[in-house]
Amino acid sequence: MSINLDPKIPQGDLKDKWDKHKFESKLVNPANKRKFTVIVVGTGLAGGSAAATLAELGYNVLSFCIQDTPRRAHSIAAQGGINAAKNYPNDGDSVKRLFYDTIKGGDYRAREANVYRLAQVSTNIIDQMVSQGVPFAREYGGYLDNRSFGGAQVSRTFYARGQTGQQLLLGCYSGMMKMVAKGKIKMFNRREMMDLVTINGKARGIIVRNLITGELERYAADAVLLCTGGYGNVFYLSTNAMASNASAAWRCYKRGAAFANPCFTQIHPTCIPVHGDYQSKLTLMSESLRNDGRVWVPKKQNDTRKPADIPEDERDYYLERVYPSFGNLAPRDVSSRQAKYRYDEGKGVGPTKQAVYLDFRDAIKRDGRDVIAGKYGNLFEMYERITGDDPYKTPMMIYPAVHYTMGGLWVDYNLQSTVPALHVLGEANFSDHGANRLGASALMQGLADGYFVIPSTLSHYLASTPLEKITTEAQEFKDAEEAVRIQTSKLLGVKGKQTVDTFHKKLGHYMWDYVGMSRNEAGLKKAIDGIRKLREEFWHDVNVPGDTGNFNIELHKATRVADFLELGELMALDALERNESCGGHFREEYQTPDGEAQRDDANYAHSAVWEYTGPNSSPIRHKEELKFEYVQLATRSYK
Amino acid sequence: MVTSAVNHYFKSSIGRKQLIAITGLLLCGFLVGHLTGNFLLLAGPDAFNLYAHKLASLGPMLYLIEAGLALIFLSHLALAVKLNIENMKARGKYQQKTKTGRGTTFASQTMPITGVVLLVFLILHLCSLKFGSYYETTVGGVLMRDLYKTTLEYFASPVATGWYVFAMICAAVHTSHGFASAFQTMGWNHGKYFKNVKRLGLVYAIFVGGGFAFVSIWCHMKGV
Amino acid sequence: MSSETMTLNLKIWRQKNAQAEGKLVDYRVENVSPDMSFLEMIDVLNEQLVRKGEDPIAFDHDCREGICGMCSMMIDGKAHGGYKNTTTCQVHMRLYKNGDTIVIEPFRAQAFPLIKDLAVDRGAIDKVMMSGGYISANTGNAPDANAMLIPKPIADEAMDAAACIGCGACVASCPNGSGMLFMGAKISQLALLPQGEPESPRRALNMVHTHDQLGFGNCTNHAECEATCPKGISIEHIARMNREYLKAAFTYHEKNRSEGGA
Repeated sequence: MSINLDPKIPQGDLKDKWDKHKFESKLVNPANKRKFTVIVVGTGLAGGSAAATLAELGYNVLSFCIQDTPRRAHSIAAQGGINAAKNYPNDGDSVKRLFYDTIKGGDYRAREANVYRLAQVSTNIIDQMVSQGVPFAREYGGYLDNRSFGGAQVSRTFYARGQTGQQLLLGCYSGMMKMVAKGKIKMFNRREMMDLVTINGKARGIIVRNLITGELERYAADAVLLCTGGYGNVFYLSTNAMASNASAAWRCYKRGAAFANPCFTQIHPTCIPVHGDYQSKLTLMSESLRNDGRVWVPKKQNDTRKPADIPEDERDYYLERVYPSFGNLAPRDVSSRQAKYRYDEGKGVGPTKQAVYLDFRDAIKRDGRDVIAGKYGNLFEMYERITGDDPYKTPMMIYPAVHYTMGGLWVDYNLQSTVPALHVLGEANFSDHGANRLGASALMQGLADGYFVIPSTLSHYLASTPLEKITTEAQEFKDAEEAVRIQTSKLLGVKGKQTVDTFHKKLGHYMWDYVGMSRNEAGLKKAIDGIRKLREEFWHDVNVPGDTGNFNIELHKATRVADFLELGELMALDALERNESCGGHFREEYQTPDGEAQRDDANYAHSAVWEYTGPNSSPIRHKEELKFEYVQLATRSYK
Repeated sequence: MVTSAVNHYFKSSIGRKQLIAITGLLLCGFLVGHLTGNFLLLAGPDAFNLYAHKLASLGPMLYLIEAGLALIFLSHLALAVKLNIENMKARGKYQQKTKTGRGTTFASQTMPITGVVLLVFLILHLCSLKFGSYYETTVGGVLMRDLYKTTLEYFASPVATGWYVFAMICAAVHTSHGFASAFQTMGWNHGKYFKNVKRLGLVYAIFVGGGFAFVSIWCHMKGV
Repeated sequence: MSSETMTLNLKIWRQKNAQAEGKLVDYRVENVSPDMSFLEMIDVLNEQLVRKGEDPIAFDHDCREGICGMCSMMIDGKAHGGYKNTTTCQVHMRLYKNGDTIVIEPFRAQAFPLIKDLAVDRGAIDKVMMSGGYISANTGNAPDANAMLIPKPIADEAMDAAACIGCGACVASCPNGSGMLFMGAKISQLALLPQGEPESPRRALNMVHTHDQLGFGNCTNHAECEATCPKGISIEHIARMNREYLKAAFTYHEKNRSEGGA
């Protein structure tokens, strides 16, 4: 089997590509749209906006979500904001600058044309969300407020308190609810996608598990949109929600959709540190805290004094020291790595030593407690609720945690994967963020894909592809369902001794220790070997109680962990094969003398695209070469 | 989809609630009027009897007012009973008592109970006073009912006075929630003023409940 | 951060499915760290149960950072434990003492049928939203975001209402099982904003109508909802809904007209 990695980038000048492409795309006649059915898996910003928009256009949409209602998708947890090249503050922003910042921020490992389009439609997103009633922050004059975020030099981030993701998602959700009421979206809650069904090489349906009854269900359509988010939970501990998983994407991979850059994961520098083995997830503290907080560790190793007892000259404000111009606002990957170095040097703080201080003492002294409370009051409260410490009095402790995965299923300019009719949107695809994502860009990408890109590109696909009539009685559906059934009974049949979480935690340790913030050849090999053995052990010793016939939470988890155990290996393999450091992927062998990432543009200016070849054979690594015509590759420097 | 909005209003939860609120506020108004009359007891038999006579001589007008009052009271009662039955069905059947201590109050929880007490009270009250013993007296040459005597005779009994005071405490508790609650239901809750509405409700409850109780105790002490 | 651990006695509602009989079952959990979240404590219990080959306790949860609205639970008779502005996932065990007995029940209301153990079906919230909890702005319609000015206090108040996470604590804690707070928050949010104003009367009428049909009770202003709301949403929004509804009921008029043209 060979795969087609033609990115289908339109000809013409960068800024005209999208307009030209939209014009050249075929349209589906308004009266014919109702003849097409589209499956949308996932109801986050990408899935929610796509489902609502396609339904408004007249398509029949079948929407699937794993929670009890679409409003709970994990997009809801994004705190900081959403970028858009509106240039309302008149501070020099433009589509081109947002494009440039995103490409540079991604360490030149993203496709120019996609990123430019993202920057172009970013402005429409804000218009759309405001018209749907999203209460973005405003100034007294009634105009929208903007802030600078994640180290950007311009203020282009729109926000709704600390709940931007939630408010945007509720906008999408309300749009969906409107179309559900009109009968154009059929909503399937508490369903988990178990497999993709392809007929004559095209994605034509899915098999889902009804999480309440345990039954498997088949759904057929003319196209499938996968909007199932990222795979950060492969690390066990991450800022992702408990149900966030990679299974839908992974099953698609096994059905022929190539997986690109799996090793590109983002580790967010400001999370609440781990405090025990029982910990189930990590909580992110908004990056905006770094606007006023100063990051430091004691200069002495194993310093057990209370932070207040450590005098000024014994503190190492290491971000300010290493990056004088960006200081505490250095990008996520860079800040995270620096925190890890401090831990490695034995200067970490707190009971587990896996933490650094984020101190507001000077900001409170400068601006007063009220000003700081006005900006971060809710975050401080949240921190105190979780840790029991009061950040007004004692510095916060933070440590990096897995937050976002830039890698994902490979898609072309039309967001179509290597399986025709399977389109992948949002975090589930790999397309826009390269090797590192900028703050406040994830929301932007999910909504851009769902609101503005897919309506055009999907209509072109539907209008130009001959689609046979099929039903869920087709043999392919039966086979796919049977395969799921077999896997399920296998899981239930092991009757081993260890719980699913035990395996997930062990996998998490491998991933965090060897495929985490910094990686090296020996470690990656160890991880690959370890994960293989762990997988073996899983299938011989996992204990999944109960049966399929009801709400079996252990079975749900087991299915996901089984896939994570395969994905983890691919991530390590991808990291091992990429012999350079770029963005979130840091290989210790490839660094500058002062410890910064060293890219290898001559050999690695490409996306690594993995093709599945079967359960017992190694996946094949393909390349999509990245051509940079409009930006000049440069070394990222934040000094 | 709602087709006839007004029609739906009288069936909807909010519509019926608002009717309860409006009727409740009207009854609150009535109580103030009634209490003003009662205070005339303190001014002596003539003033009180004259007042009662004036009301009685309104003739058909009085019947109209009484009918209106009865209608307001009965709708308040009927709607409240209906809503309470619905609410009992709708609520969660917990094994354990549920309460945060920051929301429900004693008054809000006992609305149906205090309501029933007031209903029973009203029936007895009408029987023993309005339709109670009939005496005649002459004030300023006009023959009229001596309601003053009836009233004092009634309150001579400690049981009657005790029951009356108890009922008035119930009335105070009932209105202490009901008064502000009616404003909230009508949508007259604005962050700036609502605290004062709540205070006013409390003052109202104490004034009306206390006022009635005071007059009854005064009558009891005065004796026949 | 303390390192001492606690032993707790739990009484948890177990019910196999909607039809089955349920009851409170006693459990004992040891080695509970004060730094654990409430749900992590249940995880520990579930681990124990799975090891013993018993059916783990089904409960809803997802983001575990207080924003998705998935977690529920009545803890000692209080929705989300009854702490101010807190969801169950954000309740930490340092709030409890060694030897405490904690009673855990599902969110209950006629409108929330039980699924299993502590998980209930809150689909009624979606149904209310479907009947009008949106602004009909199809993708592509939007004018420039700054074309419509919204004063900061109004935007802030709309945001207060919009903060609802749809968890259903208001319904579960209401002595009448009423859904007025979550519905009022949405009606209020959209009525405050100029974008939502055109549809305001229809929205109020239809949402209230749907609410009533789904088995939610009537509001009698206990304000228990406001006390348990993890996002601190005020019953002022219920008042605004009442106002909107009253206005709509007596003034809104819609005739069926043909949209046809040439």
